[in-house]
Amino acid sequence: MPFLHERLPNGLDVIAETSDAAVSTSVGIFVGTGARDERPGIEGVSHFLEHMVFKGPHGLSADDINRGFDRLGASANAFTSEEETVYHAAVLPRSQDEAVDLLARMMRPALRDEDFITEKKVILEEIRMDDDQPPFGADDRCRAAFFGPHPLAGSVLGSVESIEALGVEAMRDYHRRSYTPGRMVLAASGAVDFPSLIESARKLCGEWGVDSADEFRVAASCPRAAATPGHQRIVRPAALEYVVRMTAGPDEHHPDRWAAWLLTSIVGDGTGSRLYWSLVDSGLAEQATLGHHDFLDAGLFLTQLSCEPEDTDDLLEQILDIYREAMRNGIAPRELERARNQVAGRVALAGERPRRRLFDLGLEWIHHHRYRSVADTLASVEAVTLDDIHRVLAEWPLDSPSATVLAGPAE
Amino acid sequence: MKQQLHTATLANGITVLGEVMPGVESVAVAFHVPAGGILDPPGRCGLATLAGEMSLRGAGGRSSREIVDALDGAGAVWSHGVTATHTTVAAAMIPRQFPEVLSVFADLIRRPDLPADQFEAAQQMVLQSIAGMEDDPAHRALAALRRIHLPSPWGMPTEGSAPDVESATLDDVRAFLGQRMGPSGMIVAIAGRIVWEDVLEHFSRLLGDWPHAAAQPVTTGSRGPFACHIPHDSQQTHVALAWSMPPARSDDSAICRAVLSVLGGGTSSRLFTEVRERRGLCYGVSAGYSSQRDFAMAVCHAGTTAARAQETLDVMLAEIERLPGSLDADELERVKARVTAGLVMQQESTTSRADSLAGQWYHLGRLRTIDEDLARYDRLNVGMLEDWLASQPLRDLSVVSLGPASLEIPGAVPA
Repeated sequence: MPFLHERLPNGLDVIAETSDAAVSTSVGIFVGTGARDERPGIEGVSHFLEHMVFKGPHGLSADDINRGFDRLGASANAFTSEEETVYHAAVLPRSQDEAVDLLARMMRPALRDEDFITEKKVILEEIRMDDDQPPFGADDRCRAAFFGPHPLAGSVLGSVESIEALGVEAMRDYHRRSYTPGRMVLAASGAVDFPSLIESARKLCGEWGVDSADEFRVAASCPRAAATPGHQRIVRPAALEYVVRMTAGPDEHHPDRWAAWLLTSIVGDGTGSRLYWSLVDSGLAEQATLGHHDFLDAGLFLTQLSCEPEDTDDLLEQILDIYREAMRNGIAPRELERARNQVAGRVALAGERPRRRLFDLGLEWIHHHRYRSVADTLASVEAVTLDDIHRVLAEWPLDSPSATVLAGPAE
Repeated sequence: MKQQLHTATLANGITVLGEVMPGVESVAVAFHVPAGGILDPPGRCGLATLAGEMSLRGAGGRSSREIVDALDGAGAVWSHGVTATHTTVAAAMIPRQFPEVLSVFADLIRRPDLPADQFEAAQQMVLQSIAGMEDDPAHRALAALRRIHLPSPWGMPTEGSAPDVESATLDDVRAFLGQRMGPSGMIVAIAGRIVWEDVLEHFSRLLGDWPHAAAQPVTTGSRGPFACHIPHDSQQTHVALAWSMPPARSDDSAICRAVLSVLGGGTSSRLFTEVRERRGLCYGVSAGYSSQRDFAMAVCHAGTTAARAQETLDVMLAEIERLPGSLDADELERVKARVTAGLVMQQESTTSRADSLAGQWYHLGRLRTIDEDLARYDRLNVGMLEDWLASQPLRDLSVVSLGPASLEIPGAVPA
């Protein structure tokens, strides 16, 4: 799968991974801005702005955008996370130019007052919907406790209060500072016509102003421990109790991020892991998983448990015992082998679909300015040794004091 | 590119379907055994799910760990589940792992060991899953909708009901698998980088000597009331609507799917435009189509703040009523574009193709090429959709609300 790259004079990177076998084209615009870039008083603006982008630039309405994508048969959507905002569309190859045209023009939204007022209601509904669902806000609360003063502490959706207080002028200012070509990449995967992609980019994005000199993103050092360790409770009427627990892990730049990934597959994958056999297969818990999440300057190990409320304390203790057993006696070679095969299978199958590849391609570029092929990822997974995993267990102890939030009926 | 589709029926009744996809590196397989939730006996809602769980806990002399290790170790992305009509086992993998994965699957469906010491854990696992679903308001609202709208036993929850699962025994599981898990009516679909003759030979060896047993018919009973409210301590109220539609195998199914797509298929659909974009009433609203072999329903769902739930319901109902006489050509063109792109893009996923083959065989008793499917939509015009709407008044409207307060349903007639 050839990789192609060109940078426009204003700093916008245009990248593509092309595939002869593909029958579709996926295009996306990745913006290196997210919840971590929000100053106090504008929490939730990145995600709200993502919605407003679909309301259209000057001269196009929300109806025009929605109809435009539907007319191409596009599967178009967007998401906002802590570190980026991503707009994407999958279309038939003949519609590449039109899809890029719509996405690129959307990046200069009109941010009209009346749209802002209506969409604010939608955002508030999304926050309430999220709050009604397990884990009932425990994830946001736990992240705040784990990160403390670190910029990654904030919620992507924001709160009802921060969204209600947000004004359209603050959003316009945020957009001006963050949607600049040096912080954006136009990416495509599948059956891509690269010369045409470059031509579209020059025509539609070539006039975008260059970055302002001010430092937009605040860098921070990688946390080695939870900022506010301890347990918090959210009391809710629910059938089960939901637990979210965070301890520190390697960040995205750390060479041990692959070992951390395999470690979580061995100890806490949704099936076939140590947590699975002890807690889920036995019917003690509805869910018990360990995951690794990495960011630019932070990483965390995330434990998630859901179970009968009266069993929560016992099961949390059992989970810690499983972690301590792994730290004390290590991992068996056949466990590593199973995890490698499992992870490699998932990577290879996902790599077959342009829609999935687009995200890997764009996120890798927006974070590291580099290309990583499916083969590169498979090689990194293959290279992980037992020593690597044991080093992760020693350097990032899973039983260290955590930020833990419990949500459910238990008082 | 001409599709390479194959079908074969083994002597014991198993249908094997295949699609050779030269452009891909993977292969996907899906087993659909007609042992779904509608076959749960009275007082044993969830038995099919419990039986599926027990099958994973030992089969063909392999322990549950050996089963999972074999599948994960093969790098397969696999799943096991129960729908209203079928128990399904499916996986995607690289071709050289295919024989290993298939031999495990054959054990799962043909040779469950049903170890007695695993029964309580399996039962607890199913109960945990039922409890988890109770905490998901959208899932609860849609489960209630199926329950009131569909005739018994089609609306029963496949995950089961807690008291029924608690009182089920290992003998119940043994009896269920003995009666229901057989080759009759079973469909195996495979898509990807395959050589059809080799695949067929492989399946014949693994499944061909499984003796045939006659399938027992399902008795369809009466349906529930047409409206219900479920009190739930939440910020949002969930509103879910259903009405009757022709099934997928009907000649009209492309028309009714097109009409539903105009109503709630994409972001330019009427529900998305009127409920979300114009009024900001909710985050998500859509209309979908759900078909069994002999009947089908349209389903609409939205979640919104309790105080605005009545307005949301009223706008949804108004948009449904406004459909006849109001369709325009541009809307229909957008539907066709979405259908075309969706069907073409299926060809990049071996998993989607295997599922699609199995689904077509179940509903139609034959396979349709993608070109045939495209032609069914391509020929549609606004007049055909309007004629159909005029001949099909809204039938059997069912309404569920879940939240702090019940809603007023205009014109509701209690059952």
